Amino acid sequence: MNKFTSYVLAILTVIAFMVFVVVRQTDDFSFASFYIYTDMILTGMGNTILMSLITLFGSLILGFIFYLLSISKFKYFNALIDVLTEIIYGTPLIVFMVVMTFLIGPAFNTYKRVLMGSLALTFYMTPYMKNVYKSAISSISDEQYMAMDLFGFTSYQKYRYIIIPQVVRILMPPMMNNFSMIIKGSALLYVLSYNELFFAIRVVQSKTFAFIEGYVLMWGLYLIITIPLSQVTKVIERKWAL
Amino acid sequence: MKIDIRHVSHTSDVEVLDDVNITFDKHTSIAIIGVSGSGKSTLIRMMAGLEKPTSGDIEVDGIDVQDPLYRKHVGFVFQNHNLFPHLTLKKNITLVLEKTRHLSSKIASDTADKYLNLLHLSDQKDKLPRNVSGGQAQRASIARALSINPEIIFLDEPTSSLDPILTDEVLNAVEELRELGKQFVFVTHVMSFVQDFADYVIFMDQGKIVEQGKPSILQKPKTEELKSFMDKVR
Repeated sequence: MNKFTSYVLAILTVIAFMVFVVVRQTDDFSFASFYIYTDMILTGMGNTILMSLITLFGSLILGFIFYLLSISKFKYFNALIDVLTEIIYGTPLIVFMVVMTFLIGPAFNTYKRVLMGSLALTFYMTPYMKNVYKSAISSISDEQYMAMDLFGFTSYQKYRYIIIPQVVRILMPPMMNNFSMIIKGSALLYVLSYNELFFAIRVVQSKTFAFIEGYVLMWGLYLIITIPLSQVTKVIERKWAL
Repeated sequence: MKIDIRHVSHTSDVEVLDDVNITFDKHTSIAIIGVSGSGKSTLIRMMAGLEKPTSGDIEVDGIDVQDPLYRKHVGFVFQNHNLFPHLTLKKNITLVLEKTRHLSSKIASDTADKYLNLLHLSDQKDKLPRNVSGGQAQRASIARALSINPEIIFLDEPTSSLDPILTDEVLNAVEELRELGKQFVFVTHVMSFVQDFADYVIFMDQGKIVEQGKPSILQKPKTEELKSFMDKVR
């Protein structure tokens, strides 16, 4: 069996399983009742993507600051980043969101749940982004720096032509994996009543009572976002490998 | 070229140099040999101005090797090819020529072609370093070192990461460069290459020069250290 056929068969197996699951519970499976809520669902999907992009950029910036602090000469900052990283790694995302929104937010007179929720997601991703920077930057060997010095590149030239092009190539695939994590994590903003994809479908489900269709649609729509993303990541990983 | 190494000492975690004092005059191909950790890599890096000794100084034709002007005329080939991995073999050369030697892209491209051709890499020039063999990458790195038209070329164990076949491939290419009339200084473990290519050999042990002279000293070692070293590498 060649690779292509194997994949087709594997995908068909999953589809067959889903058909079985659906058929066991309903005999008039139809998305018809969702039609009038198309805009609502698309808005939810758009909000998921928008919020994920904002979180991605936020965590890229914060991650870089975390990285700089983690290599700072001031030991206090190194320790602070270590402690924060441990805490974030040890906390479930949903707990982190709730704590940010209902415990930390009010202390600063902030009751904006969506804002605090997105900040929580951003902070949650920051240590992961920090690691992405760390591995990308440390992958440029000391000897490369020596060669740059020897040839007499200026600082600007080193960054412009040698360091940044390499860092971007190394950083891209893990950054996109993190983006995928953010998209999945953003579903939890539902608990803060943010109108993202999960929330939108839940609302539509409660209006149409088409629960089975709703769950199938919800699952499918997330995969429509994340699977192409992971496929693109794989292509980039292969093409840009150094 | 005249190379003066005056009372150079160095302490580091890896290798130590202990009052190395030697002058090379008229020799065009100097081999530095010795066991790992004997100080030979440190010495060659210092001669190229890449590292600064703790004490002592090194001059080439009267210019201190720490002078940035000197570095512009130095070619250095590292143990691992050390090409910039995101650039093709040719781009590795043209980037250096265009940005640091301020050549036009036409001249940079012609120069790169010339040296890649010299190292038999014309058909590989548009590949990334990861897509060529270790020997080809190392030859490209030699082409890059030559392209800036250096007066002196340092090779720091250029074949240490290669298998015997690729080692021959690279060293044969270096031997062909003899006619360029450049000054070569190199560290290697390949004694046949030292015999063929060097006109002067220094043998280092524990940060000191223990023996020096024409390559024929390798046949008749005077010291126990060189004798046991030769027994090991044979």
